Amino acid sequence: MTETFQLAVIGGGPAGMEAAITAAEAGVTVIIIDNFPSLGGQYYKPLPDEFGARKKTKTEREAEVLFKMVKGLPITQVHGALVWGLFPDEKQGGWLVAVHGEGAPKKVHVQAVVLATGAYDTPVAFPGWTLPGVLTAGAALTLVKTQRVAPGRRALVVGTGPLLLSAAAHLIDAGVQVPAVCEASRPFFKAIPYAFTALGQLGRIEEGIKYASKMASARTPYKMGWSIVEARGTERVEEAVITRLDSAYRPVEGSEQTIAVDTVVTGFHLIPNTGLARMIGCEFEYCQEKGGWVPLRDKTMQSSQPGVYIAGDGAGIGGAEMARLEGRMAGLAAAVQVGGITQGEAGGVYGRLKSELKHQRGYARMLGALFTPRPGLTALAKDDTLICRCEEITLGEIRSAVAAGARTLGEVKMITRTGMGNCQGRMCEHGVTNAIVAALTAEKATHQQVGMYSIRPPLHPLPVDVLADAAEELD
Amino acid sequence: MRIDQSSSLLPEVKRGKKIRIVVDGSFLDAFEGETVAAVLLAAGVIKFRLTREHRHPRGVYCGMGVCYECLVRVDGVDNVRACMTPVVDGMNVETCREVEL
Ligand code: FES
Repeated sequence: MTETFQLAVIGGGPAGMEAAITAAEAGVTVIIIDNFPSLGGQYYKPLPDEFGARKKTKTEREAEVLFKMVKGLPITQVHGALVWGLFPDEKQGGWLVAVHGEGAPKKVHVQAVVLATGAYDTPVAFPGWTLPGVLTAGAALTLVKTQRVAPGRRALVVGTGPLLLSAAAHLIDAGVQVPAVCEASRPFFKAIPYAFTALGQLGRIEEGIKYASKMASARTPYKMGWSIVEARGTERVEEAVITRLDSAYRPVEGSEQTIAVDTVVTGFHLIPNTGLARMIGCEFEYCQEKGGWVPLRDKTMQSSQPGVYIAGDGAGIGGAEMARLEGRMAGLAAAVQVGGITQGEAGGVYGRLKSELKHQRGYARMLGALFTPRPGLTALAKDDTLICRCEEITLGEIRSAVAAGARTLGEVKMITRTGMGNCQGRMCEHGVTNAIVAALTAEKATHQQVGMYSIRPPLHPLPVDVLADAAEELD
Repeated sequence: MRIDQSSSLLPEVKRGKKIRIVVDGSFLDAFEGETVAAVLLAAGVIKFRLTREHRHPRGVYCGMGVCYECLVRVDGVDNVRACMTPVVDGMNVETCREVEL
């Protein structure tokens, strides 16, 4: 069965909700399709509907305003569903969205799509990173905030970026011991040129201070210029080795310390989730500060594929405020495109959004400059460290493939099977690319040359019968 | 472990209805709204699956449905992401099964 709407919004986080609201307010028929049981995404991390809360945090109240707006508008919501494909509709024009999920329409035909698929923690490989007990900052925050479950009793927090402070503070409030937070960067020195940008973000600084004071009262040191080098244990994490980093982010020999922990929380900045944009052949550029490969967009957030708009962290890491503005912009542009409002009616709002976006970009640039993981950090893996978690491929195997002549991600994939597992390369692309670039330093290889994994439907593994069914229908 | 104390970052919540699920043959208490991953971790179960090649244990990594490390068997269906699957009363969960992917 195919359902028809004017606009499909993929993803129910800040960008997706704003896009849906803006378009629906302009009279556009909207369906919002999300992977999770309820709206909010990885930024708002809402409590499950089955849980009740008497008091709410500031962020929760902010989220609730958006939830209410979505509910108050004629927006169709589909939750707990996977969008596994996006196809141009050759016959009628527009796009076909292929969905899998209980109670979800299998296919949705739309004139425009807003991809608001967000981001995930950059998987940085180090010896022992596949042991149970090593999890991302995103995972730890989800467990603590939305499930009220602590991932362990004693957790080392490592990586780079402000998210580490948030993770540490939440873990401490959850009753978890946090023996140290290792921040690979030295943000205080690098922050000076951005002092003015930071002043415009006082709200966030306040938040940072709150986290820092939680850490202070728990006596958790914030070790700048430190990183994990190894997690150890037989069946699960038992201890972690940390080390001081030099200015090129390489371990300083002799500075190692071993800490007994049952959990390691890693947060190394974020990577935009761009699978659907790649599948439909959007043009991309490589931009390290924005998290790697990001789709090219015009000022209205439209990608190189007409009718496909991309907003929020899924188009380059910029944070929740920027995601909301981009979502509004994308929703507005989509509304103009499908005839919900005229260009003239949208004009004033466009202008306002543009200037607000410009303002936000300064902040995003600051975060990128302060906390982007540097090459030294990505050299923590040893030859026997797994880079591709799904297919169990080590750094050594990737190096051998390069030695045998592979020069691109695609070639390494063909030789070693990296990226052919369940996660479709989302977990290893970063690591494999860095390994190739590092192995080819003499040839001055760049990320652009090494390229990215190409993505074909289905975007997620599907039950065989579902796929067979769908293939038939889509033909 | 379930977090029972409340604080400024984690204000008090009331969990969903208390239910029971079966994990590797034993009953575990759970609450509606929880994910399978949360219930397992709350009970101290952190090994969710074994890898195909080396039989190495894996558990929750990304927590948001991206990495496919948290795969368990739910009511007879293999390769279900524990972090994305809400629990249902009477659900049968099996960890670390020998499966062909
Ligand atoms: S922990 Fe990554 S998919 Fe569940």
